Amino acid sequence: MAERSDAELLEELLAREQRLVSAYEAALRRDTIDSSLGETLLEHEREHARALEQTLARAGRRNPRASVPSPELTAALRNRRSFARYAIELEDATIAMYVEASARMRDPDLRRPLGSIMACGAAHVVALKNSLGTFLVN
Amino acid sequence: MAPSLTRREALGGAAAALVLASCGGGDPPPSTGPKPGSGAALLGSLLALERASFAAYGACLDVLRGDARAQVHAMRAQERGHAAGLERLISDLGGEPPPGRSAEEYERTFPRLATAADALRFTQHLEERQVRAYLEALTDLPDLELRNAAAGICADEANHLATARVLQGLPAAEGPFVTGAL
Repeated sequence: MAERSDAELLEELLAREQRLVSAYEAALRRDTIDSSLGETLLEHEREHARALEQTLARAGRRNPRASVPSPELTAALRNRRSFARYAIELEDATIAMYVEASARMRDPDLRRPLGSIMACGAAHVVALKNSLGTFLVN
Repeated sequence: MAPSLTRREALGGAAAALVLASCGGGDPPPSTGPKPGSGAALLGSLLALERASFAAYGACLDVLRGDARAQVHAMRAQERGHAAGLERLISDLGGEPPPGRSAEEYERTFPRLATAADALRFTQHLEERQVRAYLEALTDLPDLELRNAAAGICADEANHLATARVLQGLPAAEGPFVTGAL
């Protein structure tokens, strides 16, 4: 991501948030996540996506198009444990993107809010690990 | 969910603020070497927070048992790793990491931890302070490599914060933006 502009980084993050929204929507439809947990995580991801969209709109950028569901998501929707493991991987990869993007932002005012979304993603991983009964600290 | 703050929580937060303010503010900054504005002084403040948290978790382990103890033990080991990383970054900038305090000096600033609930509440407030400090550092650190390091540690602290909340029966995240919004 060395040469990308702030807007390009934000677009990548938004695409990622949209994947998370799609994943939690699908899991709730298929009852492969506890409904209370799933609705909370979905609400957070929608808020993250909305905030990124608004920031991009202020920069005069259009939102990226939503992607088609991945084969990995389809496979993960077999049961609650497989979905939780899939969601942890997706959240972890998203956290890594936020770590890099929050550090790279040329506009210093965007770094902290991106970091706060990253921190929420880290909390999602803990919630998902708790649903699996696994050790919580990374 | 509207955040609520009980008197006990407020007291725990005040105790954490006192501990971290005293540990962060009392340690001498790196005295020689790095240029003004290099970020070394800010890294020194973060290092003081890490050392204070490491010492505080030692006190927490005295009253924790079972899974909660194992989780806080793991957090404590990570804080030591963060401190070592920050010391290296300060040295790389030409600075000398501040010497820190003895375990006894840190202990004098801690609240009395009588129960596991006290320890977990204290842990939560310490981690909230750390997450906030690293997010502020993300804004202020002048160099990409330093910001990358701060963001990576911040993700670890956010994991610790959520763990402390879950161990108390709270939701892992209080809301979609842990300490700020776009």
